[in-house]
Amino acid sequence: MLAVKNLQAGYDCLQVLWDVSLAVEEGEFVALIGSNGAGKTTTLRAVAGLIKPAAGEIFFLGRNISGLPAHLISRLGLSFITEDLNLFEAMTVRENLLLGAYSQRDDRKVHTSLDFILNLFPILLERRNQLAGTLSGGERRMLALGRGMMGTPRLLMVDEPSLGLAPKMVMAVFEALKVLHGQGVTILLVEQNVNNTLHLADKAYVLEHGRIVLQGASAALLEDPYLKETYLGRR
Amino acid sequence: MDLSIIQNLLVTGLLRGGLYALMSVGLALVFGVMNICHFAHGEYYVIGAYVAYFAYALFGLNPILAILVAAAASFLAGAITEKLLFYPLRKFNKGEWVMNAFLLTAGLSTVLQSIFRLSFGMKYMGIIQYWDATVSIFGMNIAVDRVVAFGIALVAIGGLWLFLRRTRTGRAIRAVSQDERGAQLAGIDLNWIQTLTFALGSMLAGLGGASLLSLSPAYPFAGNKPLIASWFVVTIAGLGNVEGAIVGGLLVGVFESVSYYLLGQGWQDVASLVLLILLLLFKPAGLFGTRVKSVWE
Repeated sequence: MLAVKNLQAGYDCLQVLWDVSLAVEEGEFVALIGSNGAGKTTTLRAVAGLIKPAAGEIFFLGRNISGLPAHLISRLGLSFITEDLNLFEAMTVRENLLLGAYSQRDDRKVHTSLDFILNLFPILLERRNQLAGTLSGGERRMLALGRGMMGTPRLLMVDEPSLGLAPKMVMAVFEALKVLHGQGVTILLVEQNVNNTLHLADKAYVLEHGRIVLQGASAALLEDPYLKETYLGRR
Repeated sequence: MDLSIIQNLLVTGLLRGGLYALMSVGLALVFGVMNICHFAHGEYYVIGAYVAYFAYALFGLNPILAILVAAAASFLAGAITEKLLFYPLRKFNKGEWVMNAFLLTAGLSTVLQSIFRLSFGMKYMGIIQYWDATVSIFGMNIAVDRVVAFGIALVAIGGLWLFLRRTRTGRAIRAVSQDERGAQLAGIDLNWIQTLTFALGSMLAGLGGASLLSLSPAYPFAGNKPLIASWFVVTIAGLGNVEGAIVGGLLVGVFESVSYYLLGQGWQDVASLVLLILLLLFKPAGLFGTRVKSVWE
């Protein structure tokens, strides 16, 4: 579904990614893990079209999308939920969700998605007429997830959904991702919360200093001595 | 001050304020969505006035039709300006967007004024009136033109409100003003929204120029006064705040007619500027600046 080949990218004269390659197949739950500044967010930004890759290719549904503007990539069915969520703070929860289905012109389909999301996140149903800016941290994540799902995307890329949340909310967010995956949504998740993530994902890539250093099935990675020592603090 | 005088001041003030609101809403929209301090806004008012003049006085169109043609022409002029000037600027601009865009509008204003001057000469092109009638409000006889102009301003602002609130594209405009990246990721084409916004803002200005043609004739520099007035309003209301611009426009209209009455002709501008200075000193974000941040909230 998504294939990133030898991607090099960065900001102005600072190159962050060196030769990153990864693949996400239909229906998979893939994680991209690594420490702060490893280039995880940059990878997602390049795939979503927010920054232009310096070199390499990105294929989505068999189409080369590298260099395509972000709104066209989004319309192809690739949804990116950023770390800072980019909610429309002065609009209601409902309006935010409706904007998530901006490219869908069929009103009936929009309302089907809306019902589905409000059903999946009952808290959003409760708060649907409240301004997004007034929500709590956890509710904002739920709203961003819901908005990202409104266009019934083929692939959902989520950047650090657990960042800054209380442990209880972290679990709720992971639970929501699990439900979405159970319903057949393909997910590419970026996380620093390595232990939780590996228990959720089918396979994972480990990014260090802009390079993929380790990859494989989550179960195998959990047993990997290097990963255990570096990221899980166990021997 | 007896009651009838208060009523008179209120009516003349509101009629004047309707135009201010119309102009200021366009200005606030352009600033709120595109971050452009638009100093060529008055020139679109003039385009509206010229087109209405030609449509009505030369081609003998029905007044309402002439005003609609003028609105369409200024919408188109705005769209072309955006595609020709601001789109390339956005593409190649490196930092300092607000300053560069402001300078571009300042230059654009001079260029457009010169084009008007070359094409139509330094003369007033006006009409006596669209409708030869007056109506009586609180015992005052008021030209139908003024009342219709006020009505047009209200309808246009109300229409814009519905558009921004209730339609998919209107929501997208507000989304861009609140979070450009979020809008892009939702599949919204920023370039299209920005062109549309600029065109809508220009259309509101053109509508003002066209509907007030009998009171202020088309003239190469006719845009200066409404430009300053609408900047005054948005500064008072808080930049980029569309809702505040409506209330602010009406308030300033009433304020001007009251100070005109109390202080005498020529002093109303002094009173307005004093008010502006006081406001900037004590409430620099504008009257509604703290409560509301974006286009229509």
